[in-house]
Amino acid sequence: MVLTPAQRLLRAIAAWAVVLLFAFPIYYWITVSLKLGRDIFAIPPKIFNFEASAKSYEEVFGISLGFEQGIAVLPGGGDFYMAPRLMDSIVIAVCSTALAVVIATLAAYALSRMRFRGQHHFVFWILSTRMMPPVAVAIPMFFIYKDFGLLDTYSGVVLVHALMNMPLAVLLLKSFFDDIPKEIDEAALIDGASRFLVFRKLVLPMAMGGIAATAVLCFIFSWTEFLFALTLTQTGLKTVPVVSSTFVTSTGTAWGNMAALGTAAMLPAFVFILLVQKNLVRGLTLGSVKQ
Amino acid sequence: MASVEYERVGKSFGAVKVMEDISFTISDQKFVVLLGPSGCGKTTLLRMTAGLETISDGEIRIGGKLMNKVHPRDRDIAMVFQNYALYPTLKVFDNIAFSLQVRRQSKEEIKKQVDWAADLLNLTPYLDRYPKELSGGQRQRVAMGRALVRHPQVFLFDEPLSNLDAKLRGQMRYEIRRLHDRLQTTTIYVTHDQIEAMTMADEIVVMRDGEIEQIGTPEEIYDRPANCFVADFIGSPSINFLQGDIQNVAGTPAFHTGSMVLPLPTETVVRTGQKVTCGLRPVDVAVGREGPVKAEVILVESTGAESHLLLAIDGQEIRAVAQGRFRAKPGDTCALSIDPATLHLFDASSEQRIN
Repeated sequence: MVLTPAQRLLRAIAAWAVVLLFAFPIYYWITVSLKLGRDIFAIPPKIFNFEASAKSYEEVFGISLGFEQGIAVLPGGGDFYMAPRLMDSIVIAVCSTALAVVIATLAAYALSRMRFRGQHHFVFWILSTRMMPPVAVAIPMFFIYKDFGLLDTYSGVVLVHALMNMPLAVLLLKSFFDDIPKEIDEAALIDGASRFLVFRKLVLPMAMGGIAATAVLCFIFSWTEFLFALTLTQTGLKTVPVVSSTFVTSTGTAWGNMAALGTAAMLPAFVFILLVQKNLVRGLTLGSVKQ
Repeated sequence: MASVEYERVGKSFGAVKVMEDISFTISDQKFVVLLGPSGCGKTTLLRMTAGLETISDGEIRIGGKLMNKVHPRDRDIAMVFQNYALYPTLKVFDNIAFSLQVRRQSKEEIKKQVDWAADLLNLTPYLDRYPKELSGGQRQRVAMGRALVRHPQVFLFDEPLSNLDAKLRGQMRYEIRRLHDRLQTTTIYVTHDQIEAMTMADEIVVMRDGEIEQIGTPEEIYDRPANCFVADFIGSPSINFLQGDIQNVAGTPAFHTGSMVLPLPTETVVRTGQKVTCGLRPVDVAVGREGPVKAEVILVESTGAESHLLLAIDGQEIRAVAQGRFRAKPGDTCALSIDPATLHLFDASSEQRIN
């Protein structure tokens, strides 16, 4: 289809309008993190013409950016210093993603390629574990974790996030493996390869796109998960979504700090997606079989 | 190299029986084609031979050894798939070398074998490429190279040419057959293309609905089809079937349909009055201007070297092939002469051959 210049212009305007519509809240949130208290609620809103300050970042990360340093205290008496909490979030998201993806990849390959009695029921059972609302299991989980000594530990939160991600990851990856022609496995089996070698050397490299996409989903889930991160932790560790809520206190809300933490929290997720995005490109199976 | 024996082989998928009582033997060094329409069980039989499907009943032996429970890798077979199933993340060299690498052969030996196969298949300039950088015909050859380097006892081909265009298919057909003549490895080749079967096979196994209809050399299958199905499946354009009965004309049996009476050779064993289906290959119908049987021309198609005619006799349509250009318009009348020796007679109800 050949577009006239006017149509091309119209299309570009529409595209930019959509991009701006989605990007504006993020931009505004970033400006809040850079504004001083009086500018945050200024009417009309100061979108561009505000006085930029790194004060909120200094307080949240306990660093001096050329201003006078002083670890402030929240209106409610809590702590502003959140750098370790960001680290907690990174450790938990990375570990739970790795755990979920490794196990789900193996499970999905088996479900895609091997036949066993009751397979369909098994797949449904995997999916059904996601049907129960998390809030229904949060309290029992708390007691189980308490008895097993998993409360307030990295492994505890990693485990629960990995478990929450597993069903979706298995089903998603299974569909990616289903897309890879099973004749490739069969050819390799006849060639003398073991199942594991077929998986590791041939199928896994072809499934990298699907694995990357799944990893992104798992990471974002863990990065933003609130309920379990709140109920299964106490003082030892806290994730970013949980501590964000501590900026809301009985005597006021520290908007600037909350925005600073939120802005900083965007970065690891952004970096992670950048790292895996080259694998997101489909077409790795190109040339294997005649479609 | 080895023979392959099938003894009362059957296959069920759950409660559905798709194949029963298949018994035949493929002799050592033979090129055997399993031929039949889609869903006839030919690919299933091949996959059972390869070990990719379990054998529900009966036994399959390769080189005299029972294969029912043997893993595909230990059957000493190599298979070429319809969609090639190349390893997309490996270069052509590694695709061909894969089986040797898995078996931990020395680097020199692997290189020697791959070079040999690449040379045989004209793949040497492409060894450093990925499958996606090759054309369809080249990919097909890589798939064959992968099978060749193993020096297996039996080659299994599952419709390897069906994804190629007509010209390339003709060329690859010739190359595969030439390769077999050179290597003399027992080959089982599955196809639904009767031209491939006729041109390549030492022996054809015609299958339908999980059963064997006929086994024979291409000439036997073409000249003496065992039943209407085989007669219809083999030959292009396909055979004409005329419904009629046997009459006694001056002491000799004759096939009678409409106003046409075709005397049969005296040794033909038929009953007078028997309802029969008469098979008549288009190439056995001689078309001219003068002759005993008159027909009306419906359509003339020229393929260049020959002309395919669609004719009508007493309301029945008949296809005929005339050599060279046959000048006629729809509605013209022409004459046919038919050699009774070329008629194939089948019982009208059982559809089995009777002459």
